[in-house]
Amino acid sequence: MTATFGKTIKEFIRQKTILFWTIAWPILWVLIGSFSFTGNAPSEIVAYIRGAIALSMSVFALMTAGIANLPGNIAQDRERGLLSKLMSMPINPWRDFLGRILALLAFSSLAAILVTLVGYGCGARFSYSLTGLAQALGFLLLISLAAAGIGMLIGTFIKHVHGAIMSGVGTAVVTAAISGVMTPYASLPWLLQQFARIYPISSASAAITFLLVGKDYAGYDPLSANQTALTVVISLLLFVGGLVAYSRFCWRKE
Amino acid sequence: MAKLTKKYGDNEVLKGVNLQIAEGEFYALMGPNGSGKTTLASIIASVRSPTSGQIEIYGKKPEHAKELIGYVPQENFSSPVLTGAENLMYFAGLLGYSKSAAQKIVEELLNKIGLTEDASKRVADYSGGMRKRLEVATALFPDIRILILDEPTTGLDPSARRKFLGLIQELRREKTTVLLITHIGADAELASRVGLIDDGQIIADDEPEKLKKASGLKDVMNIETTIKTEEVANILSQFSEKKRVLETDVGYRVYCQDVDKATPEMVRALDACGCKATKMDTEKPSLEDVFFKLTEKTVREVS
Repeated sequence: MTATFGKTIKEFIRQKTILFWTIAWPILWVLIGSFSFTGNAPSEIVAYIRGAIALSMSVFALMTAGIANLPGNIAQDRERGLLSKLMSMPINPWRDFLGRILALLAFSSLAAILVTLVGYGCGARFSYSLTGLAQALGFLLLISLAAAGIGMLIGTFIKHVHGAIMSGVGTAVVTAAISGVMTPYASLPWLLQQFARIYPISSASAAITFLLVGKDYAGYDPLSANQTALTVVISLLLFVGGLVAYSRFCWRKE
Repeated sequence: MAKLTKKYGDNEVLKGVNLQIAEGEFYALMGPNGSGKTTLASIIASVRSPTSGQIEIYGKKPEHAKELIGYVPQENFSSPVLTGAENLMYFAGLLGYSKSAAQKIVEELLNKIGLTEDASKRVADYSGGMRKRLEVATALFPDIRILILDEPTTGLDPSARRKFLGLIQELRREKTTVLLITHIGADAELASRVGLIDDGQIIADDEPEKLKKASGLKDVMNIETTIKTEEVANILSQFSEKKRVLETDVGYRVYCQDVDKATPEMVRALDACGCKATKMDTEKPSLEDVFFKLTEKTVREVS
């Protein structure tokens, strides 16, 4: 597990395209958003709008890591024969899986922290309690798990590296755009608002915004009992679904 | 292994393969693309399951003998963004070695494959030969007793190929059991025993020299010609055993019974059809020629 963790995190950190799309690109949007999208806002709420932008781009960093980088990593290992090599060795697939997921969590946490720090540097401010912060961290974990689940599904079923990465990037960008991660919930049409509540990455993102910036910025109450249960259940379902697909199909003997 | 078969849907890739490889033996399995050799290697390495038949490695099923097998797939599976040493440390970690034990073993392996000085370079900066040697090292950890190499020299330049084969010869001296999968006759010549595989069946199996002797082939003439046409091939086939000639990149290989007698006649016949023989030389038959004789197929695709 430690070996896979070390290898995977080095592969994430040493590939410039991964660094760009997971860290530099969200940071770029934080910089653009913090100074371009706050022009007409009353001065007393600008800092919180910037906070909401920083949080949404941190969520996007987590999404990119899980939905695009992870399947790219899986598809790359399969395409270059590493999975065949691993299958011939006396190792447990679950340990390999855990190593990958832990590396993903570590890398995506680093990305989210960097994006948030840049947002803070741009004037983003947050309003939270310690309990709220702990809850927000829980929702961040759910986002990572859901994103990893989607990523494992893509990496398992799309065999080629470029196909897997492009599908991952496409899924991350499109779902972020239509589910309110990158756009205000209130501006979404009714149908997409329903999708935003079902799509756990979006609902967890709204919950984080609710907890760290304020309820006015979330657009609805993502912390209601029903909504929270839905977010938790669908996140875990996606994760378990991805896990089952990965362990059954990527490690399956033909 | 006995009566081993493998089917993908209706396509039977292995058709009842029987094979026994002794401990310490260097066995080469040679055949063209699609003959089933990679499938056979991957079944031994426990990457695929047979459809039927029996296979045992030191008395165990392949999935229970993984710790004894070092499998090197055809693809370059090492991570290009990690250094050579980091790649080996990764595999050592997977095998459960402690950090200090892994460092010691990795140092020894790098020394064995001649990559000590390049250990801290990223694999992306390695040549094809260096990368393949590194990948072989992943299959040389202590306790591994069977090395399975799938087309290891494919894509290597001649110099890198020779260096790589030198490494394999050294392993042979260490009594490691080696199964080499190849479509290159010259690589298979290094083995103590060669199996020729075609269409999912082993069609011949013996020491390289015995295979050549049994084929009955005498001299082989390599002819470089100014043009390659069906007419030229037909002319040359008149001088070749069973009227078979093998097309090569630069001309033809002709299987002569009497080279001295055939040469002037061949030159005259080629001249008459407007084709010049720019180079002619004679050599002993290779394993690829033996395969060609037995199957009327070439092991390698010719351009």
